[in-house]
Amino acid sequence: MIADLRSIPSSVELRAPQAAPLLSVDRLKAYYKVKLFGIDREVRAVDDVSLKINRNEIYGLAGESSSGKSSLIKTIAGAIRPPLRVVEGSVRFSFKDGERDIYKLSPQELSAIRWSHLSYIMQGSMSVLNPVRRIKHAFADFALPHVAAKGADFTHLVEGHLKRLHLDPAVLQAYPHELSGGMRQRVTIALATICSPEFIIADEPTTALDVIVQKGVLAMIREIQQEFGSSVLFVTHDMAVHANLTDRLGIMYAGRLVEEGRTRDVFKRPLHPYTAHLISSLPRIGDEAPKKALEGSPPSLADPPPGCRFHPRCPLAIDICRREAPPMVELLPGHRTACHVAQADPARVRPVA
Amino acid sequence: MKPNLLDVEHVNKIFTRGGFVSRRVTHAVNDVSFSLAADKPEVFTIIGESGSGKTTLAGMILNSLTPTGGQIRFRGRDLREIRSRRDRLEFMSHVQAIFQNPFDAFNPLKRVDRYLFSAAKRFMECRTPAAAAERVDESLHKVGLSLAEVQGRYPHEMSGGQLQRVAIARALVSNPSLIVADEPVSMIDASLRMTVINLFKKLRDEFGVSIIYITHDLATAYYISDRLIIMQKGRVVEGGDARTVLAAPQHPYSIKLRQAVLSVDDAWRDDSFTGGMPATAT
Repeated sequence: MIADLRSIPSSVELRAPQAAPLLSVDRLKAYYKVKLFGIDREVRAVDDVSLKINRNEIYGLAGESSSGKSSLIKTIAGAIRPPLRVVEGSVRFSFKDGERDIYKLSPQELSAIRWSHLSYIMQGSMSVLNPVRRIKHAFADFALPHVAAKGADFTHLVEGHLKRLHLDPAVLQAYPHELSGGMRQRVTIALATICSPEFIIADEPTTALDVIVQKGVLAMIREIQQEFGSSVLFVTHDMAVHANLTDRLGIMYAGRLVEEGRTRDVFKRPLHPYTAHLISSLPRIGDEAPKKALEGSPPSLADPPPGCRFHPRCPLAIDICRREAPPMVELLPGHRTACHVAQADPARVRPVA
Repeated sequence: MKPNLLDVEHVNKIFTRGGFVSRRVTHAVNDVSFSLAADKPEVFTIIGESGSGKTTLAGMILNSLTPTGGQIRFRGRDLREIRSRRDRLEFMSHVQAIFQNPFDAFNPLKRVDRYLFSAAKRFMECRTPAAAAERVDESLHKVGLSLAEVQGRYPHEMSGGQLQRVAIARALVSNPSLIVADEPVSMIDASLRMTVINLFKKLRDEFGVSIIYITHDLATAYYISDRLIIMQKGRVVEGGDARTVLAAPQHPYSIKLRQAVLSVDDAWRDDSFTGGMPATAT
């Protein structure tokens, strides 16, 4: 069984260029529609987001709380419930065995692609694992319907998978509370990757962990991605994690994608004032220069400011920013930004000292 | 000679769980000593992972937990002697706390200004609403807010950064000389984090408040602290001047901690992501 798993093509073969991106999100709008005391309210959590994720890459998504990043990934995973609704746009995956539009699938078809093609690593490992059942039951609950193996074969498969991820198969007999936070998170990662899914969504998998443990867990995600050739959508607000892990990076602000590019380009040459601020305000060991804080607070998504949503806090805001929402424009190869100022003159966006 | 602001001397805290048959002992804080000078306000940082005993230590400094062994003195007075209601109020007006998650610290059904007003009434003996309002407005101004912005608002109407600043303003109402801040920025968004961090600097430099900053984030610790201690399993493994310790840690655990910090600057070095794992084919 272990040999079978080893025969999965290595990432070297999968690196061959493929025409279609694995995930295409096209002009996606997902709003929370709430009726409160007879008044309709709309919270525009995801507003006109387009992005593509290629095969075999780690795509990072950064943004603060209530920037809509959780709503976006839920929408991508097809895991939304009212009041969150898709208003416009589409989410299409092109898996190896065919294309799928998430919002045109029946519930049965959707549940068939879950776990085997599309899986999810969640933040709180304690709320994923049932505290009163052993870890092996969690594997059975999640993965058994999606793999061909049963009984002893299934146990072999799970043990082989754990060994591949350098985990001791003895954890299967443990209860969640007996494992440390880092170990639990590794188990949930093993759980999410048991069917070698093509697309993995990781929602702040290391935020609750200590620094020493965090590095090991990130190395594990990187290794899995390279071994399986999967694509990972990695969500965190920690910019240092993005710098070290992701291949491409998208920055969300108030429900919109404001910048996207290769991670290195975004860090070296941010083209949106919000990103520029985020990067320059990161405290670093060895750097004693005072850091400037950004004034103001993120806007409410129920009543966002007109025009560019960042303009009330933006040091570069000009007149047009208050009136018109900037479109996403590719200014440098593979590097898009939604900023009027940068589109007029990219040199004006600079990291604030 | 003027006594120190705070003396922590060989402090121990042992928790016992279970009963007669299965007794389990957790040595949460093991022989920790440090002191803060009265005339030199500073940011003193306690670094440690979860389970290192840093929050237990904070609880003892705030006099909400009693040490099993050792002594903590505030301005020369043993905290154990502070028992009467009057003494406790007096102590609380000098030593204030700020917690990790401002959304947990405030009751969602209560307007945030009520916390500020009750602090003003209790600690500053403001008898009239006008006197209390003046007091509250003054401390809100120290954190870059004003009573007009805050009055009548509920916690959910404010951002995490704003709410944490209100929590700091509440702590400042009584003009404390020491603030114990337990992970005050770990729940706050990146773009708002620096406002809170810079505020601590301002409190130290302009208002002479000493701050005990408890964190696991080495980068912000480097940015604001004057001195620090690193704790592992209840013990202090290394301590001293913050910049010296973080630039060149000596103890194996501190070195490990320092190396685990992900840095943006090292991100594009080739060896940055092996993390002790076997190299994989690329």
